[in-house]
Amino acid sequence: MSILPIKIDNFSYAIGDSKILRNINIDSKEKKITIIAGNNGSGKTTLLKAMHGLIEDPSNSISWANNSIKTIKELQSMVFQNPILLNRTTFENILYVANKKKTNEKNYVNKIIEKLNIKDIANIDARYLSGGEKQKVAIAMSIIGNPKIIFLDEPTSQLDPVYKHEIESIISSLVENDTKIFMTSHDISQIKRIGEEIIFLDKGRVIFNGKVKEFLNEKTNKVIRNYISYG
Amino acid sequence: MLSNIIETAFHLIFTLDKDLIEIITLSLKVTLSALLISVFISIPFGSFLVLYRNKFQSFVILVSNTLMGMPPVVLGLIIYTLVSKRGIFGFLDILYTPSAMILAQTLLITPIVVSLTYEEIYKKHKDYYLFLNSLNLSNFSKLRTLIYECRYALITVTLTGFGRASAEVGAVMIVGGNINHFTRVMTTAIAFETSKGSIELAVALGLILIMISFIITLLIKSLRKIK
Repeated sequence: MSILPIKIDNFSYAIGDSKILRNINIDSKEKKITIIAGNNGSGKTTLLKAMHGLIEDPSNSISWANNSIKTIKELQSMVFQNPILLNRTTFENILYVANKKKTNEKNYVNKIIEKLNIKDIANIDARYLSGGEKQKVAIAMSIIGNPKIIFLDEPTSQLDPVYKHEIESIISSLVENDTKIFMTSHDISQIKRIGEEIIFLDKGRVIFNGKVKEFLNEKTNKVIRNYISYG
Repeated sequence: MLSNIIETAFHLIFTLDKDLIEIITLSLKVTLSALLISVFISIPFGSFLVLYRNKFQSFVILVSNTLMGMPPVVLGLIIYTLVSKRGIFGFLDILYTPSAMILAQTLLITPIVVSLTYEEIYKKHKDYYLFLNSLNLSNFSKLRTLIYECRYALITVTLTGFGRASAEVGAVMIVGGNINHFTRVMTTAIAFETSKGSIELAVALGLILIMISFIITLLIKSLRKIK
């Protein structure tokens, strides 16, 4: 099933009187990594959730190659900013998702554990993992069943440079295996390193949607200029 | 005098006095039956209320919370009027039988187990709803996961229900009638034996109740540590 282009047609979202996303229009064919950036409270996470179907879209404004989110949901997964893990061991967390996604391959969980290099924490209860370890386990859980799209909500924001590098390598290897990544990030150097396309939000509106290179050369928009210069 | 009473009470316990054992056995049978029925209904129902949130759900929780504080004697009175010969369930002919006592205890602890289950599952659901929705799970699958994740907390809830049921006296007295060798349980026996001046058996039963309560507290404490 084809997933691109993703089209968002005039999508808005509000909680009570507070408008979080306003008239979002996106048309993206980028196959690799799309960064969703913006200042705090600009609606990045909400947009990610909407694209993943975690927020109601009653007017069907979001489509993936003309498929609705409901149709495409099985092919998506998401890693949250604060990784959500069950109170079980790393192995059991991964096994849980593998069972839910009905992956019948023999030793599948062990293969995932080896792929993410988390063998040493496989039998540790998720509650006792460090932030970086939790993030890696959450990514391991997200790649089960080979999803075509993975949403990553600031996956490296709380990590030290070593873990950050490791997670970025994992993300790059996913892209090499034809997984489309949507990722929120505040880190300009990271955006430069791994981003291909960027969607920049300001107060719930998309004010830039294009190549990262063009974004970095943006001279006219003051919000973007400040973001880049202080980033 | 007090030392004599306590000595006799311990003697009754350690010699496994026939009457004492009969009362304890019936108490455990009634309480565990009520608990089993209540848990079987309340845990799925309390969890279900978390996932299907609407006005009906809010109303049910409100009613359940209100019933948590219902005086057992009032509940006993209501059940009495329902199952007595002239009551609408009189045809069941269960008044002054262990069945009526099980019914009373079940109705007494069900609101407690429903409300506490709801609280525990609600907290866990808040933590996990994004993750569970992200996996596109059915509501049944979500419920199974949430109940499993709350397993220790739900055992604590069950023990709380057991504690409440085993310590109850008013309702079982009214609907059971405290009939010797038939519906006499620990709490009603304590009240009865004390009133007729036979303190020894009452103290022995009291000690057993305290021991049960101590074991439950200990179990709850260790489960909280695991949590």
